[in-house]
Amino acid sequence: MSTVLQNLIDQPYQHGFVTDIESDTVPKGLSEEVIRQISLKKDEPDWLLEFRLAAYRHWLTLSEPAWPNVKYPPIDYQDIIYYSAPKPKNKLASMDEVDPELRRTFEKLGVPLHEQAALAGVAVDVIFDSVSVTTTYKQKLADVGIVFCSFSEAVREHPELVRRYLGTVVPAADNFYAALNSAVFTDGSFVYIPRGVKCPMELSTYFRINTQESGQFERTLIVAEEGAEVSYLEGCTAPRFDTNQLHAAVVELVALDNAYIKYSTVQNWYAGDANGVGGIYNFVTKRGLCQGVNSRISWTQVETGSAITWKYPSCVLLGENSVGEFYSVALTNHRQQADTGTKMIHVGRNTRSTIVSKGISAGESNNSYRGLVKIGPKAAGARNYSQCDSMLIGDRCGANTFPYIDVQNSTARVEHEATTSKIGEDQLFYFASRGIGNEEAVSMIINGFVKDVFTQLPMEFAVEAGRLLGLKLEGSVG
Amino acid sequence: MSTVASTWLDSLLSGHELFPEHRAGCWVNGLRADALERAHALTLPTPRDEDWRFTDLSPLYRLAFRAPVAAGALDAASLAPFDVAEAPLRLTFVDGHFVPRLSRLAEAGGALVLPLAEALESHAELVRAHLGGCVANGGSAFAAINTAYLHDGLFLHAPRGVRVPPVHVLYVSTRADVAVSPRLLVIADAASELVLVEDYVAVHQDTYGVNVVAEVVAGPGARVRHMRLQHDSKNAFHIGTTGVRLDRDAQYGALAVAFGARISRLDLHLTQAGPGARCELDGLALLAGRQLADTHSFIDHAAADGSSRQEHRCIVDDGAHAVFNGRILVREGAQRTNSAQQSRNLLLSDKARVDAKPQLEIFADDVKCAHGATVGQLEAEEVFYLRSRGLSESAARAMLTYAFAAGLVNRIALPSVVARLRETLTARTGNTEIVR
Repeated sequence: MSTVLQNLIDQPYQHGFVTDIESDTVPKGLSEEVIRQISLKKDEPDWLLEFRLAAYRHWLTLSEPAWPNVKYPPIDYQDIIYYSAPKPKNKLASMDEVDPELRRTFEKLGVPLHEQAALAGVAVDVIFDSVSVTTTYKQKLADVGIVFCSFSEAVREHPELVRRYLGTVVPAADNFYAALNSAVFTDGSFVYIPRGVKCPMELSTYFRINTQESGQFERTLIVAEEGAEVSYLEGCTAPRFDTNQLHAAVVELVALDNAYIKYSTVQNWYAGDANGVGGIYNFVTKRGLCQGVNSRISWTQVETGSAITWKYPSCVLLGENSVGEFYSVALTNHRQQADTGTKMIHVGRNTRSTIVSKGISAGESNNSYRGLVKIGPKAAGARNYSQCDSMLIGDRCGANTFPYIDVQNSTARVEHEATTSKIGEDQLFYFASRGIGNEEAVSMIINGFVKDVFTQLPMEFAVEAGRLLGLKLEGSVG
Repeated sequence: MSTVASTWLDSLLSGHELFPEHRAGCWVNGLRADALERAHALTLPTPRDEDWRFTDLSPLYRLAFRAPVAAGALDAASLAPFDVAEAPLRLTFVDGHFVPRLSRLAEAGGALVLPLAEALESHAELVRAHLGGCVANGGSAFAAINTAYLHDGLFLHAPRGVRVPPVHVLYVSTRADVAVSPRLLVIADAASELVLVEDYVAVHQDTYGVNVVAEVVAGPGARVRHMRLQHDSKNAFHIGTTGVRLDRDAQYGALAVAFGARISRLDLHLTQAGPGARCELDGLALLAGRQLADTHSFIDHAAADGSSRQEHRCIVDDGAHAVFNGRILVREGAQRTNSAQQSRNLLLSDKARVDAKPQLEIFADDVKCAHGATVGQLEAEEVFYLRSRGLSESAARAMLTYAFAAGLVNRIALPSVVARLRETLTARTGNTEIVR
């Protein structure tokens, strides 16, 4: 491996800074008392408190999953602050009133929150730690009947919607981290697209984890009614810390008849330093339910950050002719570990799914694809195509694939392909003979490798994601 | 472990006392005693274990087996259908017992081909050096049970440069409710060559158990061909463990066929310990009724410049269930490994089920690895093409199903084995159009 490549890999985390904002936190640890306190602080209705407590009681009976192909020191769940909100100041009337320090933080990150937001045509629901600070473009969306707000606001303003759908896709008892999230989630985003409405803009949220040692437990719920369409963008950056931070989010999507939800993620949380110290633990449950006929859910993710990623955005294809898609690029470097993939559960007739996963491993990292394609006995005519390719950069990293295929219907067709490759000397030589240097050649090869996924990203993200991959791999190929 | 399974294990192991202490000397008895202890300590697998997720052995745990105290009566004529004409050497075991009358023991061109019980005495040093060496950590609970019952089996030693004529090991079951524990030890020294046919058949359709461990040690440049034909009764339970260790430039080619048994499981663990080793593993399962066949293969590329090719095909009809888990590990330093794996599955009925899990774990960067898995039914276009040539729908389907499997069978170099497999395929697929 050349030094050019090595330098490329060794780029320090660029978004590593801590903003000093007074935080309103609850004491460390987890108990029914802490949950009641969180619920009280957020002024929640009784049914939600009951939901949390039931989840907490179930969580106590569960043990942490050990099957993922990742290693980390045991997590002390009593050593985590479960709630942290910026100190409530006066109600904000406009962007100008937002804490200047906070705004500077976003400027450093390049979040187009203010005029930039208008120029980019993006409505940004900014989550700063756990509480939504400001929501732009709400009016424009409200005009067509779309609800796009923080989760706490949705609980206050649209309790009937939240209550109807919360926990229907990812039940509180689904898994260890989903139960934990259901018990202590602080905030997140809520989107409701009414019947027949096509969302006029990309909806976008920037998440940041800020207060040291505050695990962030977001909850996102997106509901698309009959014939509705929405594209949702989620982007993540976090400042650098040495203490591992736990992040256990839950995302639920519900698509009714003929609805289409596109969910895109660019994840670049702090991954720890070159020796694997620090970094975010990203243990996320994401699942979409194609409940109606002809509904479609599409997941696109670019995972470049976090010390450990454990994430399987899934689709339950219940409605006839419904479509599930999963496009993923997962890049790991240094000592990062990723165990990510998807589950496509075909229940209805003529359901279709596509999986395209591209893993890039560099340094001493370990990158696993784990996926399940399950065709139920009633899913006649179901179709799946999966492709998962890995690229290894350097000889100390690992790339694994664990695809599970479970077919119970003879009319189904399932295809799975996987390849592993490296950037060959001959490829670099060819580029060099055309006057293209190593670094640029590598960047072009990698861009070609991930192209199938990047073309699925909304424009704003595609640019950012391309830049991110370049940054992450700077100096690592040769 | 569930109490059912543990009670079952205890009762199975209690048959152990029926086996006399071995005369060969204390080391065999010691080995058996250790394995017995291990078998008691290990838990029997249940679907909660990741490696047994789809294979529920609870029907097995409900059965009581007898230890095979004597061979059932069998005449030579009833073995005629199973004969491998190309093999001058045949060891026949009836209900786990070696029957010289039904065997052919001839001069093996300088190689040793004899019952393991005999080799434990006559070649103790050689057996002791290799026995158990290919079963990682002593293997699963089933491998431990096999060792606890270690009694007889095949011993095959090909000295340096020797070319051994084909060897046929035939396990015949004649009695219901008997559990046998065959053991095979094959040692191929440097540059030797051998062909082994490992064959399981029954002359009845009752319930019985087979728990076999086979070990193959291939020295530098050795070439081993290994055909494994599992055609047990349709109510039998067959648990197989095969351990293979390849030294530098050794070659191993195998075909494992699963036609019989109510539940069959094969754990194939192959290690490429020396550089430049090559292996080709084919698998074929033809299942109907309520059969379940589970193949777990693990190819461990531990040295550089190795290559592996694997093709596993399953044809699943009625309410049968095929499981394939193909793990390929490319270790750090196993550079220039070239590995390709294919899992192809044909579902013939709505109740049939396939679970496939190809699994790649790669820790070296200069490698070429690919795997693919497909599950589906016959191509409508192919059926249409044959129908346009005047074949009936069912004949067209039968022919295509036959062809799906025949590709693997035709790779076998022994015509009598090919003919026998084709006959079974013809009967099971209903294909009558093939001119043989």
